[in-house]
Amino acid sequence: MRDRLEDLALAGPGVAVLAVAFLLPLFEMLRLSVLGDDGGATARHFVRFLTDGYYLGVAWRTVHLSLLITALCVLVGFPLAYVMSRASPALRLWLIVLLILPLMTSVVVRTFGWMVVLGRGGLIPWTLWKLGLVGRNFSLMHTEAAIVVGMVQVLLPFTTLSILGVLMKIDRGLEEAARTMGASFLATLRAVVLPLAMPGILAGSILAFTLSVSSFITPSLLGGVRLPVLAASIYDAATRTLEWNFAAAQSVILLVGVLVVLVPYARLTGRRRG
Amino acid sequence: MVRGVPPAIRWFARVFVAATLVFVLAPLIVVAGVSVSASQFIAFPPNGLSLRWYGAIFENSAYVKAFWTSLRLAILVTLAAAVFGTAAAIAIHRRRVPGADAIAALMLSPLILPTIIFSIGLLMLWSATVGPVSFAALWLGHLVVTLPYVVRTTLAVLADSDPFLEEAARTMGARRWQRIVHVVLPQCAPGVAAGAFFAFNISFDEAIVALFLRTPDLVTLPIQIYNQIEFSPDPTVAAVSTLMMAMTVATIALIDRLFGIQRFVGT
Repeated sequence: MRDRLEDLALAGPGVAVLAVAFLLPLFEMLRLSVLGDDGGATARHFVRFLTDGYYLGVAWRTVHLSLLITALCVLVGFPLAYVMSRASPALRLWLIVLLILPLMTSVVVRTFGWMVVLGRGGLIPWTLWKLGLVGRNFSLMHTEAAIVVGMVQVLLPFTTLSILGVLMKIDRGLEEAARTMGASFLATLRAVVLPLAMPGILAGSILAFTLSVSSFITPSLLGGVRLPVLAASIYDAATRTLEWNFAAAQSVILLVGVLVVLVPYARLTGRRRG
Repeated sequence: MVRGVPPAIRWFARVFVAATLVFVLAPLIVVAGVSVSASQFIAFPPNGLSLRWYGAIFENSAYVKAFWTSLRLAILVTLAAAVFGTAAAIAIHRRRVPGADAIAALMLSPLILPTIIFSIGLLMLWSATVGPVSFAALWLGHLVVTLPYVVRTTLAVLADSDPFLEEAARTMGARRWQRIVHVVLPQCAPGVAAGAFFAFNISFDEAIVALFLRTPDLVTLPIQIYNQIEFSPDPTVAAVSTLMMAMTVATIALIDRLFGIQRFVGT
């Protein structure tokens, strides 16, 4: 009994912080999203979002860019993680450190870097201009391509490291067995490694997708005002037009979207463990 | 004899890894390059070398003020996250309270639920109940974001610890606080320290909570950079950004030197 009290006292402050500063804000947001002008409940803010072509366009852009970003992260992240898992421990450590570096760099700094690389007179447009392929004022800023490039750079380390975690646990004897029995390198990769790496690939994709749909700073700076994503639309409603109920409703839509992806996954992994 | 990896694929792998690293690191290198340019425009490759933009940071009171705000915030957030997070991790690890799993899920949930959603909720709740946002609101917001990291690193270390040490101390008559101070905390120490470094780095670099909870008087360094690059980027921003990257590199190097970074990634 006293052991329980001791542990409750230990967990208390942390739980209290999360209850007050995390759970309550989420409830407040849910409440505001259905609050009408007369103080009663209304679905008005949701109807506004779901019936306006502009906002549906924002939602569609958010989803299809996130799917594209997630796919690219997996396509690059899987081979990268595989090479890392087969590298010497020293080389692997270096590669991990080099991947963590952009992960731990502030998002504003990373995005600023891309603005320099992609903007007018930046590294890529300047090179293309020197090669005579584009005009002098060519810029890659404020395009969907810029958003994708900037986001893949941020999320690739997440995906790669979660795939690497699974690859490191695969018994190498399985691959050797497949090779001894005559399978080629690529056939082994496809028939043995890829299926075993699936949990990591799935976890990495879900992480990349949920972070991507909710990201704000990178897409709004690289995409500009004419290519808003859902998070940018929430930010506008909350801080520029001050329509808090509408901002809350959009946040709920984002939250539901994220949960739709997360919950089945959590169920799946929970069952496997249990 | 098992055949090795075909040479063509070996070469492809080398080129592929090199290209990926260039892609991932390019924006960081470019920022560092711009920061030492002599030109007053943003240019990469830099035209001539100069450290004048680093000098310009210290003449710009907005940057200096934002730096002190961020530093104060990150230190206070780190201290609180380390204390609360460690205590919670110990309780979760012992599994003696009912609902230890639920507590663990709650403590780790800010890692997966988008920060933007809870920061806007915090802004609304704070405005409705307390009033205009303040340093305290930002501190709470950052505490939510950083607590899970301390809990996770501490749990990782506790999972490898010897569960019978505390039992032994109990049998030999150690009181509750003696067991915690002399047995449990020393076992946690590497996890707590690594979590604290992560917490400091995250709080110092964080831009979403800080963006929603900003006021003209409450601007952190990342938000000052954001304001600048949104409208008029100049090489001073590059110099500030480079200093922030240097802090990140130092943090990673410290975590790796002290605890081995591999212990905390890939799970």
